[in-house]
Amino acid sequence: MVAAFNDEEQVDATLRAVLVDVLGLAEDKVRGFDESTALFGALPEFDSMAVAGLLTELEERLGILIEDHEVDADMLETFGSLLTFARAKALQ
Amino acid sequence: MSLGGLAYETFRSAGREEYLMRIGPVEAPPILIVPPLFEEMNRTRALVAGVMRALAGKGMSGWLPDLKGTGESLEALETSRWEDWRHDVMAAADHLQARSGKTPLIASIRGGCLIDDAAAAIGWWRLAPVPGASLVRDMTRAGLAGVEWAGYAPSDSLKGRLADATAVHQEPLRTARLSSDAAPADIKLSGPALWRRSEPGSAPELAEAMAADIVEWHAACVVS
Repeated sequence: MVAAFNDEEQVDATLRAVLVDVLGLAEDKVRGFDESTALFGALPEFDSMAVAGLLTELEERLGILIEDHEVDADMLETFGSLLTFARAKALQ
Repeated sequence: MSLGGLAYETFRSAGREEYLMRIGPVEAPPILIVPPLFEEMNRTRALVAGVMRALAGKGMSGWLPDLKGTGESLEALETSRWEDWRHDVMAAADHLQARSGKTPLIASIRGGCLIDDAAAAIGWWRLAPVPGASLVRDMTRAGLAGVEWAGYAPSDSLKGRLADATAVHQEPLRTARLSSDAAPADIKLSGPALWRRSEPGSAPELAEAMAADIVEWHAACVVS
């Protein structure tokens, strides 16, 4: 069911699509995110309720499983930290 | 009073009476909508209603059943079993057949795709089908932000059956997914994953695109 993820760009694009879909952010805004863009606690749309939906949608689209103990504020802090996590999971 | 062709009916399922919402004429070709489950059902309610209105605008009729223990059902969710939900979809399809004189097309969304295979239909159309295990993980994870299962209290047996459920292949079947979803599909539709939003939202363009594709698929199934 899930497409193979073999390249870092695909994971990047998927993460941006999930941020648009789950948080309801504008595509233009998310396209402008870089590694240092602050997410959790900085975006009003990215609250604790949204975290569950974001993680589950990432699991579905990347074909990965995320354990609760892997989730903390550091991992959600910036676009870069979330992307690093997603790549490590999807490309392992 | 006219509500733009909106009507409520009841159907009998295993000795119970459950409600169905209909938009469109009784005698029009019927589309049975099997909605997403639990919280995703609430988040997509406006989308589903939008699809039903768009279907009615294209000469069809959209029918949305309440599953046991959901919506206007007089039953409690706590006593609802997985088999009850599958039976409700089957009984609703039979009701549509009896009322319209035509075999329905089934259009299911997300978790609805897990319970749509028992009913008699001329074809199946699915949007973003999801394994039950993924829904269970999401509902459990909702506990990170407050209440597990977002306050719903399904029985352990229903949770167990949901966790094991995957969409059963049907013929003829057309699968649609959002364009942002990399998984394979017969068609990709642009629009937001409303079932993921923490606040319910609507997406008129997605509703219109879904209805257009459903009508096209219905025509293909009638011919075949």
